[in-house]
Amino acid sequence: MDVRSNRREAGGSSVVTANRLLDGRIVWLAGDGAWSGRIDAAHVFSNDGIEAVIDATARRQQADGVVGVYGVQVRDDSTTPVPVTVRERIRAFGPTVHPEFATLTEVPPDVR
Amino acid sequence: MSAEILAAPSSGIAPVGHYAYDQVDRAFLHDRVEQFRDQVARRLSGTLSEDEFKPLRLMNGLYLQLHAYMLRVAIPYGILDSRQMRELANIARTYDRDYGHFTTRQNIQFNWIRLEDTPDILARLATVDMHAIQTSGNCIRNVTCDQFAGAAADELLDPRVHAEILRQWSTLHPEFSFLPRKFKIAISGSPNDRVAARFHDIGLVAKPGRHGTVFDVFVGGGMGRTPIVGVHLRDNLPEEDLLAYLEAMIRVYNEYGRRDNIYKARIKILVQALGAEGYREKVDAEFAAMDRARYRLPPETVAAIRARFGTPALDAPSDAAERLAGARRADAAFDRWVRTNTHSHRAAGYISAVISLKPDGGIPGDATSAQLDAIADLAERFSFGEIRISHMQNVVLGHVRQDELHALWQELGRAGLASANIGLIGDIIACPGLDYCSLANARSIPIAQKLSARFANPDLQERIGDLQIKISGCINACGHHHAGHIGILGVDKKGEEFFQLTLGGSAASDAAIGQILGPALPEDSTVDAIAHLVDAYLVHRTDGERFLDTYRRLGAALFKDAVYALA
Repeated sequence: MDVRSNRREAGGSSVVTANRLLDGRIVWLAGDGAWSGRIDAAHVFSNDGIEAVIDATARRQQADGVVGVYGVQVRDDSTTPVPVTVRERIRAFGPTVHPEFATLTEVPPDVR
Repeated sequence: MSAEILAAPSSGIAPVGHYAYDQVDRAFLHDRVEQFRDQVARRLSGTLSEDEFKPLRLMNGLYLQLHAYMLRVAIPYGILDSRQMRELANIARTYDRDYGHFTTRQNIQFNWIRLEDTPDILARLATVDMHAIQTSGNCIRNVTCDQFAGAAADELLDPRVHAEILRQWSTLHPEFSFLPRKFKIAISGSPNDRVAARFHDIGLVAKPGRHGTVFDVFVGGGMGRTPIVGVHLRDNLPEEDLLAYLEAMIRVYNEYGRRDNIYKARIKILVQALGAEGYREKVDAEFAAMDRARYRLPPETVAAIRARFGTPALDAPSDAAERLAGARRADAAFDRWVRTNTHSHRAAGYISAVISLKPDGGIPGDATSAQLDAIADLAERFSFGEIRISHMQNVVLGHVRQDELHALWQELGRAGLASANIGLIGDIIACPGLDYCSLANARSIPIAQKLSARFANPDLQERIGDLQIKISGCINACGHHHAGHIGILGVDKKGEEFFQLTLGGSAASDAAIGQILGPALPEDSTVDAIAHLVDAYLVHRTDGERFLDTYRRLGAALFKDAVYALA
């Protein structure tokens, strides 16, 4: 995983993401351990403990049918998880040049 | 090169402009598809890990990008026929989101592919003699070619037969399948460089010699994080030594190229490290030691390959040029399109037409399945079913009768494909950028869209004249920003997008690397900055001077002031 996308700050919060093996679509780890195509279903972890979550999740990625597990830091000013970096916001909400491909019907304001 | 491939004559009518496959080629493709189908099944079952599977999928053009798998399909030397284009449209409709993206390597990419569909997609491609081999990995990639090859009035020699020979020579070449890094070859037959020959690992310019075809050879050019204009290695390489000499060149690279550092692994780094003369000496020594008879490219082999190419019957009526002139006088919009979007043909009464894939505010290089079908229909009606893709991400119909050009233009207008901006500020190269690419730092496409919308006025575009803007979303430079008259490079600053401007680049015969103008700009200032650069140029240019000429005459200072003095 590219270091740029996997960096986190102490005291922050993150969600866990991957790509689905079958179709490559982006998925987010939900609270029940399932994977969702919507970031608003993602469980938000404290950065203090997220490395252990990522390690455990990566170990079961073949069984889960996902590849490339890593953590994404999110802003702490939104109820819907909004990634800190523009790269991860594009992953979460879809390509900016095709609004019709947006992953959420209602995209939180100011997420681009 | 496979002797079987060369020995088998074509049984059907050869497609105009490219090599006709036979049963040997088709059997190979079928086996390759079934091999990959098995590899995908083993990946899905867990028998293959992602680390084991990744190099296998890349050998079949399949990347895992930001949102999905991306399949890059090869278009050898940028030429395909109408039935192939229709199959690409089918794939876009059936397996993707109804569009494809033409690349700066004359290939096409589909951005929303499912892994489980990929073997079926490759099987459908194989039905029209297409594949995704050599579009990824550290091998000799798809050989690119002049988009006006075999048609241009300024051409000395049609290079496509030799491009096909290089394709066959390099396909599954056992010695060159695991090079230190990817390896890109471009070939042209015109003294006017339209293939960026000096920015390729090897650039070849074919021309007639005293005793047959010869080649001028450039080596070690490239973009990426270390942009270098290629070295002129030698002149007048005889055709019969083409494969032997390239074999020697790449053998030296394979032996001495660095494998310890991905950023120093391209041949350009080796050529710089050895020096041009040092590299030339090693190549000459290898060349001298080779069994030249084994690698000789005899005229009969070239003739056999040439025989597998269809040739167009060029028989325009004698008044074709006169009728075109009349249509231009009667229709100002058509006249403008002819000025910008056509290229002189070698045959009387014919002309090459460039179909811009850069509509105002659009995504450079994208085409919907309906547009792909429309292009196929128009190619059959107007240009012998032959279609060319340019490294500028446009489409060319090579052989259009001049008296039929107005009808073609009208049909293009109905398909939304009649933008009159080739070579102008709206004809922007842009990589997919951060909207799709997992390597990108910043988005390229939105900047291109905003620029083409800002400069949409056709009068303004013509007044500005020849100005090439090229945008890359990261330092890998797939958008060729180093060679842009104005280059734009996306950079990442703490997770946000910024854009660095370079001026003075050129991919043509006067190849040059653009120079950084100043600090990177935030996204919302970048389009205004380009507008300030254009304004400064319009104020200071002399008659007939291109943007590049003005920059070279006056230097960077006034342009730097135009962008940064107001900040």
